[in-house]
Amino acid sequence: MSGHLTETILNALADGELSAEQLVEAQAHLSTCPSCTSSALSQTMLKTSIAKAGHRYRPSSEFEKRMTRLASHALEPAATREAGAHKSGARKPPQPWRVLTYTGWTAAAVLLLVFAGLFSMQRGGQQTAFFAEVCDQHIAMLAANAPPQVISSDRHTVKPWFQGKLPFSFNLPEHLPGDTTLDGANLTYLRDQATAQLLYSIGRHRVSVFVRKRAGGAAVSYGALKEVSGFHVAGFSNAALDVVAVSDVDPTRLAGLVQLIQQVQN
Amino acid sequence: MTLLPWKRTRREVAPTASLFEELALPLLPSLHNVAFWLARNSTDAEDLVQETILKALRGFGSFEPGSNFKAWIFRILRNSYLTSRSGLAARRTWSLDEELEEAAEFGSYPESVIDRQTPEVNLLRLADQAALQAAMEQLPPLLLEVILLCDVEEMRYREIASVLEIPMGTVMSRIARARAALRQTLDMPRREARA
Repeated sequence: MSGHLTETILNALADGELSAEQLVEAQAHLSTCPSCTSSALSQTMLKTSIAKAGHRYRPSSEFEKRMTRLASHALEPAATREAGAHKSGARKPPQPWRVLTYTGWTAAAVLLLVFAGLFSMQRGGQQTAFFAEVCDQHIAMLAANAPPQVISSDRHTVKPWFQGKLPFSFNLPEHLPGDTTLDGANLTYLRDQATAQLLYSIGRHRVSVFVRKRAGGAAVSYGALKEVSGFHVAGFSNAALDVVAVSDVDPTRLAGLVQLIQQVQN
Repeated sequence: MTLLPWKRTRREVAPTASLFEELALPLLPSLHNVAFWLARNSTDAEDLVQETILKALRGFGSFEPGSNFKAWIFRILRNSYLTSRSGLAARRTWSLDEELEEAAEFGSYPESVIDRQTPEVNLLRLADQAALQAAMEQLPPLLLEVILLCDVEEMRYREIASVLEIPMGTVMSRIARARAALRQTLDMPRREARA
């Protein structure tokens, strides 16, 4: 093939990767060689056709929305998130100063409401921070792509693994739906408390179920919050345990798994 | 308390959240397209892109503004693919050793591989987009990824070298082999008819 342009030069020509000197040499050759001109044209057409054929798959709008939420919320600090949430909600304008002229009973009632509101906001903020930490732990597990500390689909292996590691015990359901499997578990920490992170798969979706000893005070509320950073959250609290599950799987299926776990805790 | 490394650097990363969105979201269709080609199904492709976004978010603090974000995030996608189920399965059927041995044999291309037909004939074959897509599906992952980055994503050779973490010479060699393989596959019906 001496005398003709090499395959590498033809490819680089089609890709616009030839240096100025190489391009001058190639053009000089092409002006006198119909065979190489034909090959160069063929390379360019192949490249154009591949580009057209290669744009084949488009993400679904649902997936795009999910990724957009993930990208926009994951780096956002909790304080900003809360501020954004407040902005989006319809807030009442501040009370005018003239309310101070009301009777003493009215002022006392307002103060009572303010304190109640502050307490409620503080509790809500704590719960938001807790759910954010739960999601972070789940994301860390996904991103690490590492095997669980205990790898087993057998509840009789996973549960005893926590003996001596946790100051409490819990039960795991024996029968799971067809495409739900127990993958293993990790020992982790939530809010400074030793916590069991049970790892399930529902289809191809990974699920983290965090089980920790019930903290003093009010039980965690799952009624208002169903989604954090694009992930669905479900859980329950009983007299001894706080259990919270997080995943990007369909929320009803996540709730189904949580219900199974709840049923065996007696 | 948290053991997460990005928690410790959150204050440094937080101001760049909008920058991440600005850089990453326009690339979402491209990431998904390449992921689908490599993983060969929608579910794995979506998992791969999600994992890529999560890893990119986690490591965004180390990304230098002004450097090549596209090459950076595609490198994350590619590395995630290599450690995914579909990536590991693909690697079992196409080992790097085979690749290197073949590359040594492929130092110079036989004349028969180079297309010396008339542009009209080529045009007719290339007009069949389904045939070209089928030919691309038959490419080994190492050749498919390089052709996707070069022709579909229109990356420069040096960017591809950065994504795949291979020398430029290997990029050029793989592109030549990928195109030669595509031509041979597309030409197969004509050869069979002639035989």
